Amino acid sequence: MKVTRKSADTCILRTEGLTKRFGSLIANKEIDLEIKPGSIHAILGENGAGKSTLMKMLYGVYEPDGGKIYMDGEVVSLHPPIKAKAKGIGMVFQDFRLIPAMTVLDNIALAVSDGGWRLKRKQLRERILKVSAKYGLSVDPDAYVWQLDLGERQRLEIVKVLLVPGTRIIIFDEPTSVLVPQEVESFLRMLDLLRKDGYGIVLITHKINEVLACADQVTVLRSGQITFRATREEGLEEEALIAAMMGAGTLKPVVKHAGDAKEERQTVLRIERGTIIGNHGETVLKDIELSLKQGEITGVAGISGSGQRELAETLFGLRGLSSGRLTIDGKEMTADTKSFMDAGVSFVSEDPLRESVIPGFTILEHMVLDGIPMKPKRAGIDWPYVRRLLENSEEARALALADADRRADQLSGGNVQRMVLARALIRQPKILIISYPSRGLDIGTTHTIQQQLVTLAERGTAVLLFSEDLDELFKLSDRLIVLSGKRLLGPYRPSETNAAEIGFRMLKGESA
Amino acid sequence: MIADILTGAFRSGTSVMLASQGELISERAGVINLGTEGSMLAGALGGFAVTVWTGSPWLGVLAGGCCGLVISALHAFLVLSRNANQLATGLTILFFGTGVTSFFGRGFVSKEIVGFNPVPVPYLSDIPFLGKILFDHDPLTYISILLVPCLWYLLFRTRLGIILRAAGEREEVLFANGFNPKLVRYAAVMAGGFLAGVGGVQLSVAYTHSWVENMTQGRGVVAVALVIFASWKPERAMFGAYLFGAAQALQLTVQQMKLPISPFFLFMLPYLLTLAALLIVELRQRSRTPEALGKVFAGNSNG
Amino acid sequence: MNLQADNIALHGRTFLVGDKIKPLCLQACVLLIPFVIFGVFLLFYGVNPVQLYISMVRSTFGDLYGFGEVLLKTTPILLTGLAAALPARAGLINVGGEGQLAIGALFSTWCAVFYLERFPSWAGIPLMLAAGALGGAVWAGITAFLKIKGKLNETITSLLLNYVATFTVGLFVHGLLKDPKSFNWPFSPEIAPALRLPVVDGTRLHAGIAIALALVLVVWFILYKTRIGFRIRVLGSNYLAAERAGFKVNKMYFWVLIAAGALAGIAGMIEIAGIEGRLRPTTGVNYGYLGFLAAWMAWNHPLRLAVSAFVLGMISVAGNSLEIGSGLPSSSVYILMALVLFFMLGSGRRLKR
Repeated sequence: MKVTRKSADTCILRTEGLTKRFGSLIANKEIDLEIKPGSIHAILGENGAGKSTLMKMLYGVYEPDGGKIYMDGEVVSLHPPIKAKAKGIGMVFQDFRLIPAMTVLDNIALAVSDGGWRLKRKQLRERILKVSAKYGLSVDPDAYVWQLDLGERQRLEIVKVLLVPGTRIIIFDEPTSVLVPQEVESFLRMLDLLRKDGYGIVLITHKINEVLACADQVTVLRSGQITFRATREEGLEEEALIAAMMGAGTLKPVVKHAGDAKEERQTVLRIERGTIIGNHGETVLKDIELSLKQGEITGVAGISGSGQRELAETLFGLRGLSSGRLTIDGKEMTADTKSFMDAGVSFVSEDPLRESVIPGFTILEHMVLDGIPMKPKRAGIDWPYVRRLLENSEEARALALADADRRADQLSGGNVQRMVLARALIRQPKILIISYPSRGLDIGTTHTIQQQLVTLAERGTAVLLFSEDLDELFKLSDRLIVLSGKRLLGPYRPSETNAAEIGFRMLKGESA
Repeated sequence: MIADILTGAFRSGTSVMLASQGELISERAGVINLGTEGSMLAGALGGFAVTVWTGSPWLGVLAGGCCGLVISALHAFLVLSRNANQLATGLTILFFGTGVTSFFGRGFVSKEIVGFNPVPVPYLSDIPFLGKILFDHDPLTYISILLVPCLWYLLFRTRLGIILRAAGEREEVLFANGFNPKLVRYAAVMAGGFLAGVGGVQLSVAYTHSWVENMTQGRGVVAVALVIFASWKPERAMFGAYLFGAAQALQLTVQQMKLPISPFFLFMLPYLLTLAALLIVELRQRSRTPEALGKVFAGNSNG
Repeated sequence: MNLQADNIALHGRTFLVGDKIKPLCLQACVLLIPFVIFGVFLLFYGVNPVQLYISMVRSTFGDLYGFGEVLLKTTPILLTGLAAALPARAGLINVGGEGQLAIGALFSTWCAVFYLERFPSWAGIPLMLAAGALGGAVWAGITAFLKIKGKLNETITSLLLNYVATFTVGLFVHGLLKDPKSFNWPFSPEIAPALRLPVVDGTRLHAGIAIALALVLVVWFILYKTRIGFRIRVLGSNYLAAERAGFKVNKMYFWVLIAAGALAGIAGMIEIAGIEGRLRPTTGVNYGYLGFLAAWMAWNHPLRLAVSAFVLGMISVAGNSLEIGSGLPSSSVYILMALVLFFMLGSGRRLKR
């Protein structure tokens, strides 16, 4: 499908045969794309389809290995990003490029250089307020970024991009993944305003309903190639989009038996009137009640930064309750990781690359840290025993764990996640606390991990699953709880509620 | 006696203060430099030598600052371009400074100079009690006091300051905005080294008017500690430096009064005070460390 | 405050057999360059570097006495080197070897002078050694306490405490521990002859080197062959992971620092019982820092430390002959040592892989 000359004239940006390779992997193959002013171009695809590579080429982070980028009819080079920025391309990243320790104003000043070393703070503040009023992006210029929730941070990122002089194209990377359903509506309204003002908008997403709601033009990527494209005039069909995204061999759904068993299961872990204090002495969660039951998956929903990390750490003894009781099998626990481990708790943390990987150590060596027992052999460790257990482990096989002698710091993110999960599963824990198991993973791995969680629960483990993906939570959970406004709400039965209701609670709490 | 101690606090504290302001710049950009001690020594010797040769203490200041800068550039190179461990490199720099200055400094041990002398500010120095404490100092002390608000303004009110602080927090953000974090850090470390060098000059050319081997006696280390004590705020680092200076001055005063206290207790006092100050600050509030501070840099920063 | 010293510990198995030769050659080159640069320094002062290096080698390897002198210098550097390398494996930077050695020397002298005077060698020497270890451990304990209770960075506290330790020794040798017969010279009374370490005939070399080498092996064994050593290395590589594996991180930090202090304290005791016989304000000065440099030159590996400590011992002895032979200050060898370490640090990342 060649872009025709005629339409090319009206484009701000056009690519021809854009290709990017990483070693033997072709991340993007011959991508043709056009971005027009006053129009929303959605790039749709599953995780790992090559969306983020494409957008990084458009923003100049990567240099293409092949193909050309035209702007206003001329071939341009966008690498490094500063060039892309100078040519009027703005990017709203998923992991915002912000400095938490600085104020909103300082963060914007860093990006918007209007010459001169002296900062015209007053002028800049006025410009911020003007832009934020125009597009309904309320931000307080003097707030520190660490005080903002993810929705606010996103608004700040957008204001930043809009304030850069000459911005014509704005690329949004999975913008709604940090928003609750209610915020999504106002986000889409804002997109519409931007479109009316003539910005060329690129919306990178894997959510089909958003595309259907706002896009003027859609390009679907799968395995680095374009599988489908259409404009609104030509008609956007949900089925066609799904087929293009998933390909022929769609995955089997995660199998889940006896989800709504009526009999009351045994409670293994319970928090009564627990209060948790954060790193800076602030109250994160207050007077919470939580019980985890044998064989059940409890899903935790909430806007990021609502106390998920602190709650998870508390349940593994890394952090103490400042008041209240935490009991496992009726026995009161104090903040001591070892005793939690001994009581059968396993923990897969939010950021395994940072919190679990030990540089220079092999996968095998990682296994004895809260996984396979560290069996003594004289003064040392019985490594052959550990290896045997690992090789015979069904879980390791199911997760397609990499070779035991590979160094963990040389593994990809997905393989690290598999390793950490395999380690937790091998222990056959009584309670598993797991944070964001599918974050950043491709669809196949995600599916494997979800299946493993379900199997584990069926064998009697109590699972507490933190996730930012409401679909995943609804798919896997037996019960759902919501963290919002320092409170723990719920539990709710997934069958008795819906995403909109949960979203509302994430945002506004119980009050309604 | 109190007036003596307070006057002494300024005289003796100025060198530490300059060094700690320099270290503060460096740490705000993400580089911890224990080599500050080495920069101070180099500055003290360089400044002293040039003052001996030219008779001009102002040229001494310039030379001393440059010596400090060169030493810190070495630290910057190893840490930023060779990705070496910051603390270990800093200590090696400290060593190197000690060795180099005692090597080149032998000829200067008994030399005499005029150097800087206290210049009373007209009228203000006549104010009873306070006049002597605040307005009867050498020019470097006045300059260093003026430096603190300037530095504050630079850090928190200018674009340059924002860029500098960003380098100490998240280099990828700086990179994404088209700046070169490495360059910013080089500049910060070297500016810090320059100030530490000037601090050394104050010690040799203005305070003691002499050069003695290893004369800084850990002041550079104290300066690094004070930056942490100060939670990376210039005005608090100034306060800490004068506190250290006061403890030094106390030691001289007590000795002059021939009180039956072992001088060794008094020698320890400034260091113990620094430790105590650090502890109190840490226990009272968890200060926010710049995110990138002290990391071993990976080198290639990509979007 | 939590200055994380990333990646300071290096896993033992990073060298692959096939890649061994090339890095070794590279490493040799890296070690040569500083000597060339130092030679330029020397030329600057009108000293012929080639001649000087030859005389350095001759004075150290030429005869038994010279070799003994090198081993004498190597002994404390080995121990203070361990005091830096062991914590480094746990992710801590202990620069307090200097102060820990001084306080170890103070404790052991105190015990020797006041309690152990009439003890026979077989009981007195081990007790004195224990006293030295205790002294170093107590001093390191302050750093450990401040680290755990106050979250103070151990690098800065241990460095500051070095100055305090020097003054503490000064306080004692001018006061409570001053030799009454010394005519106002600041040093302690001499310890009993029975408490002196046995000496090799024809040299000043004493049994301290054997103690130091034994401790090197012990530390190596603990780090690489035991469960606790495995835990220490995990902690040093990623303390968050260690925390999540249920290790008592603070307790480990505490005991590692205590052990390091004890090692440095033993160095202090050996200085007293081996060479000096009495405590002076200058006893063991700079050995703490030399040990730190030696540890980093060995990338904090105990066995490689034996080599680097020997090299530094040799350079130190040469420093003395430098002063006598060419009139340069002995402290100028620090330039050479620092240069060696600069090149190690500067090339480290690539050699490590």
